[in-house]
Amino acid sequence: MQRRKFIKETTFAGGALLASSLLPLNSFCVPANDVKNITILHTNDVHSRLEPFSQEDNKNAGLGGVAARAALINDIRAEVEHVLLLDAGDFFQGTPYFNLYKGEPEIKAMNLMGYNAATLGEHDFEAGMDNLANQISKATFPIVICNYNFTNTPMEGKAVPYTIIKKGNIKIGILGVGIDNKGLIPDELFKNAKYNNPIESANTVADILKKENCDMIICLSHLGDRYNDDTLSDEILAKENYHIDLIIGGHTHKFFKEPKKYFNRNGNNTLVNQAGWAGMQLGRLDYSLSRTKNKNTTKSQTIVIRKKNAE
Amino acid sequence: MLKLTAIFVGAIFSILPYTAQSQKATVTYSTHTISKQDKTDSALAAMLKPYTENLNNYLHTVIGFSTRGLFKKQPESGLGNFMADCIREITSQKYERSVDIACINYGSIKSFIPKGDIMIEDIYTVIPFDNVIVLQEIKGNVLLQLLNKIAERGGLPISGIKMQIKNKQAENILINDKSLDENALYIIATNDYMANGGDGCNMLKNLPTINKGYLFRDAVIEYIQQTSKKGKTIDWKIQGRITYAN
Repeated sequence: MQRRKFIKETTFAGGALLASSLLPLNSFCVPANDVKNITILHTNDVHSRLEPFSQEDNKNAGLGGVAARAALINDIRAEVEHVLLLDAGDFFQGTPYFNLYKGEPEIKAMNLMGYNAATLGEHDFEAGMDNLANQISKATFPIVICNYNFTNTPMEGKAVPYTIIKKGNIKIGILGVGIDNKGLIPDELFKNAKYNNPIESANTVADILKKENCDMIICLSHLGDRYNDDTLSDEILAKENYHIDLIIGGHTHKFFKEPKKYFNRNGNNTLVNQAGWAGMQLGRLDYSLSRTKNKNTTKSQTIVIRKKNAE
Repeated sequence: MLKLTAIFVGAIFSILPYTAQSQKATVTYSTHTISKQDKTDSALAAMLKPYTENLNNYLHTVIGFSTRGLFKKQPESGLGNFMADCIREITSQKYERSVDIACINYGSIKSFIPKGDIMIEDIYTVIPFDNVIVLQEIKGNVLLQLLNKIAERGGLPISGIKMQIKNKQAENILINDKSLDENALYIIATNDYMANGGDGCNMLKNLPTINKGYLFRDAVIEYIQQTSKKGKTIDWKIQGRITYAN
């Protein structure tokens, strides 16, 4: 079905070429609304790093800080039309700001920067679930997490399994998965919340997003990129999912040099990226979506990854 | 005819940057390093300013006074004794039960407490990480394993124990002035790092544990405030808790 649609579309483009071969290339090859460009900006494990590291810090002196990050994001928004700004959890805990204010300035900063969605890391629970519920109720962006069941907890109704965002004519489905908190934080902080298998939960939700005709499905994950044992990770999710195009990861504080590319259960590519920690880096992926959608096609479709020449 | 057109079009598309029949997307990646040398956003800076000012006031709050300062050293030190006594006392208060012993890993103390006024910021320097204090129930024979591990590693901050190190083993052990009973149950306060088996303390890993998420750092701040309220300075001495047997 989709394949036939593709041929129909290309026939139109081909006809246009034959009819008007004197027109400049850009004006006829693809109808303007078929070019789908979107820029994904992402952070993870910012850990309450509102200000840059102090000059006395051995390794990271002067790096990070929300005021500089916001200016950079503004510049990118001025440069490209469609931007999504996402965070993969652990935005709380790690500096005295969190010990004193319990996350209030972190959420305010994320609101001002215009985050579109975030998921939760285990440290976001550190000042208690009541506090987390209270702080994120002030967020202007949704918290997406599909494998935590918050029924009968202070977090009930404060998070959603997924969100759908439209940018121009691009429809993006964003879901989130969280790590098993057991042993990472005191049991008391997770109270009566339930952790479900993130792979199964993500596949269930991604299926919904596919049926909603999302052009792109992004999973925000706090599972960690990969482990040497069978602990669930982004790598496992990337291989075991059906519809996820991109996993924005966290937890393991890895500075990825480039996104990792996996083949998922449908034989398509799922990318994984992660941007270190503490807001020292902003990850950026500029997507050019072609109009050959992979719905119902059996042929494997790959993503071409390229490095941007200069910052 | 249809098929022919498709092939023809495929050839055209190959000159475009983003599409071919087998592709779905092109992704161009880059990372932006964020540094204080970069320009800053004024709205963010304005939002943050009152929080930073108030935080600095908080961090510069004087909570106690030390005549000599407290420093860490193995096998025993004034700072170590202070920290271990602090954990034992504050866990006892927070968990509302008597605590026999307290110990923390040597590496959990990162710096020293300077002589003179002690500010909250000093405690953040000494304890930069958000470790929490926990209670565990430990049987005498497992406690002996722990004390031998402590001896092997050259001592750590401890409270409620007196022992000697001989050939990397614990000897002449006294627990609150009584000899160790291998069959007795003791209540030990420690941090989550050790309770999770850190520093070779695997014997602690599967013990019954209570963890209310109370921060080690907050315990130290509170203990200094309580001590100051009693009119005492923060001056702890070496008491021969851990010594080398000659």
